[in-house]
Amino acid sequence: MSVLADRKGPGSGSLLRRPRTLDIVGLLARVALGGVMLVAGVLKVTKPEVSARAVQAYQLLPFDLATYVGYGLPILEVVLGLLLVAGLFTRASAALAGVLLVAFIIGIASAWARGLSIDCGCFGEGGTIDPSATRYLEEILRDVGLVLCAAWLVIRPRTAYSLERTLFA
Amino acid sequence: MSTKATDRRAKIEAAAPKGRGGANKIVVATIVAVLAIAAIVTGVIVADQGKKADLTAGGSSLPKNVSAMGAGLVVNPSAPSNVPTLDLWEDFQCPACASFEGAFGKQVNDMAKANEVKLVVHVLSFLDKNLGNDSSNRAANAAFCAADQDRFLEYHETTFANQPEQEGTGYTDAQLKSFAQTAGITGAGLDTWQKCYDAREHNQYVESVQTQSAKDGVNGTPTLKLNGQAVQLQGLTPQSFADQVKAATQ
Repeated sequence: MSVLADRKGPGSGSLLRRPRTLDIVGLLARVALGGVMLVAGVLKVTKPEVSARAVQAYQLLPFDLATYVGYGLPILEVVLGLLLVAGLFTRASAALAGVLLVAFIIGIASAWARGLSIDCGCFGEGGTIDPSATRYLEEILRDVGLVLCAAWLVIRPRTAYSLERTLFA
Repeated sequence: MSTKATDRRAKIEAAAPKGRGGANKIVVATIVAVLAIAAIVTGVIVADQGKKADLTAGGSSLPKNVSAMGAGLVVNPSAPSNVPTLDLWEDFQCPACASFEGAFGKQVNDMAKANEVKLVVHVLSFLDKNLGNDSSNRAANAAFCAADQDRFLEYHETTFANQPEQEGTGYTDAQLKSFAQTAGITGAGLDTWQKCYDAREHNQYVESVQTQSAKDGVNGTPTLKLNGQAVQLQGLTPQSFADQVKAATQ
């Protein structure tokens, strides 16, 4: 009886609404968001001064604060990336990553609106570039996609193959 | 019998900590949070100390024709007050700067020599951190040691003319010395240059220019400003450049 009841769980009949399918979607969102965070962080973490210059180039934060944010941000990205890829504290990590990404979108949009021509510095480099080489729209769209991944994980943090499921069984 | 065994198992399970042997979530969360914060704080402190060490290395003397820390070098201090100021930000390892020098270097130098503009050069060194070497910093130090002997423009020109084809190859100390010779520094002058270079007499000045330019929002090279207004390099021709200078002359 109980086996039957399980099979007739919520959304049975629709493949897209099966918990297993949703877990897999969660896994994809987690790996996409975590993977990008991890790569972005690793590429910058060995060059804190380049990262600091990239944050300074936005001319949004006071100079010294921008410097420290530049030093710390890559490490935070690596930490969040590792947690998300492993699937540990998925909801909290995704929420923090989402907040970061919204801040990045605001920064990029503001640089665009103010007519600056800078590289977003998302994966290293950063600073002033030729006006024809700016990619503000692409950068914003990419970050919006990642925010959607983060939103999914905050709403439904249960994902397939997550460390937290094994660890806190 | 079997009921008894089930009862016992149930009792054992009830006595065991909740989560049936899984890790304690709060403990793991605390460990992760503490490690993450420690990593970030350590990283920021290490980077900050490294930066401070860079800023205070070498000597603190100002090169000739430089009025203050962070300020550019005035190539022609004798320029009359009615001519526009042309500010130029360059990094000796920047390929786009070498291209600019190839196309407009002679024109800029001639304008300065004829006092048609007041030429102020800000030598940056940020590419060292991107490229993972120290050639921009050493070349800048070398150029300001040449400036002490009134050979800044010549040194600047020689260095860009000999920029390595592959960005990141950098300059050797021997190359930087040979540039001084090409720039016309010889004999006792070369010994003075060498002493100045070896001691990095102007290193704190070099670092101060880098910091000041970042504060001024100059984050790329080459950057040109005519009376404080950015000159668009895209589509710039010797003629349109000369026209802009003429228009800015009072």
